[in-house]
Amino acid sequence: MLGVVIRIVGDRGIAEDIIHDAFVRIWNKAHTFDAQRGSGKTWIFSVTRHLALNHVRTRHREVTVDDDTAERLDAERSQEAATDTQDHFDWLGHGELDRCLGQLSPERRNCLFHAYVDGFSHQEIATRLDRPLGTVKAWIKRSLAALRECLS
Amino acid sequence: MTDHLDPMSSLGPDETDDLAGEYVLGTLSAERREAVEHRLSQDSALQAAVWRWESRLQPYTALAEPVAPSAQLWQRIERSLDHQDAPASTRSPDRSPAGHTLWERLWDNVTLWRGVSFASVLAVFGLAAMLAFGPGAQTSPRYMVVLMTPQHTQAGWVVEASSSQQLSLIPVGTIEVPPGKALEFWTKADDWSGPVSLGLVQPGQTQRLSLKDLPPLEDNQLFELTLEDATGSPLDRPTGPIQFIGRAVEL
Repeated sequence: MLGVVIRIVGDRGIAEDIIHDAFVRIWNKAHTFDAQRGSGKTWIFSVTRHLALNHVRTRHREVTVDDDTAERLDAERSQEAATDTQDHFDWLGHGELDRCLGQLSPERRNCLFHAYVDGFSHQEIATRLDRPLGTVKAWIKRSLAALRECLS
Repeated sequence: MTDHLDPMSSLGPDETDDLAGEYVLGTLSAERREAVEHRLSQDSALQAAVWRWESRLQPYTALAEPVAPSAQLWQRIERSLDHQDAPASTRSPDRSPAGHTLWERLWDNVTLWRGVSFASVLAVFGLAAMLAFGPGAQTSPRYMVVLMTPQHTQAGWVVEASSSQQLSLIPVGTIEVPPGKALEFWTKADDWSGPVSLGLVQPGQTQRLSLKDLPPLEDNQLFELTLEDATGSPLDRPTGPIQFIGRAVEL
């Protein structure tokens, strides 16, 4: 679990602080939780991961731009980045989602895993993949919809 | 696109699922995360969608390389929980932090929260962690398992292992076992051909078990309690329905 948090916050000391805080929070909030719908294991990871995500999002609040502005900026941005056909994550063989993830292009899978594993924001993914912000946002939204459809 | 999420606005099923998916992925801004977390407490459809995505994506947390926590971390957690618990407790403030005292506390708290359904797991989880990661625990792997009903509606037991060979099975809720029946405890690592019995367990009682005849505990190892005849399963595998099930998380 510590490895998951370190990957998101990028610092061992902060990660240990977050795990500490997760336990204390669990202790204090014991009476306020309703029935859950995930397994015990899923729940343990969920609580810890969201504390880590809240930490990085609050620390690096993004300057958000409206969609029109984003579109204009994106249009100005170089479109010459070569299509990234390489997976950045060795994702196969981990879960039931494998089959549906396999139907996405490597670049779209990279978006999902840079978000889920690295805790990257849309902007960070756009920078990492050298793609326009609007494209990355649309890819993630469509990828989630494609996964939902594949699973249904 | 607005970054504001009106807590009162209604979302269609796909919008709800999109929002849940982005929340679990982690791509939402701080403001939208806050709005989702606020909304979660009152929107059961959103809650269900979040748990669907959590369950689907959780296996991929394995893509982050494991890192062993320092012993100091667990001492810190223990101190903080000690502090949290102090006002409600009649314990002497200078009590020893040794395992036995902690154990008693855990037991006391389990009793206190018995019947509080899932909420109690949170507390037991914290306490069990305190036990597992107290000053005595140094470098051995530590594991935690929350055993829930197969429908994930209620937690019944917590398993904690302070080493890869010793574990404790701690009851959380009140469990009724029909006359002439018994609960049998099983475990199975991912690459074992079938589950191995760890014996019959008494409802409402903490059991400590040694796994010395088995390979060391590993991450994601399955634990389950099945309902068997009073003498246990007649075969070398479960024959009755699963009552509680969970997998080990390596901390």
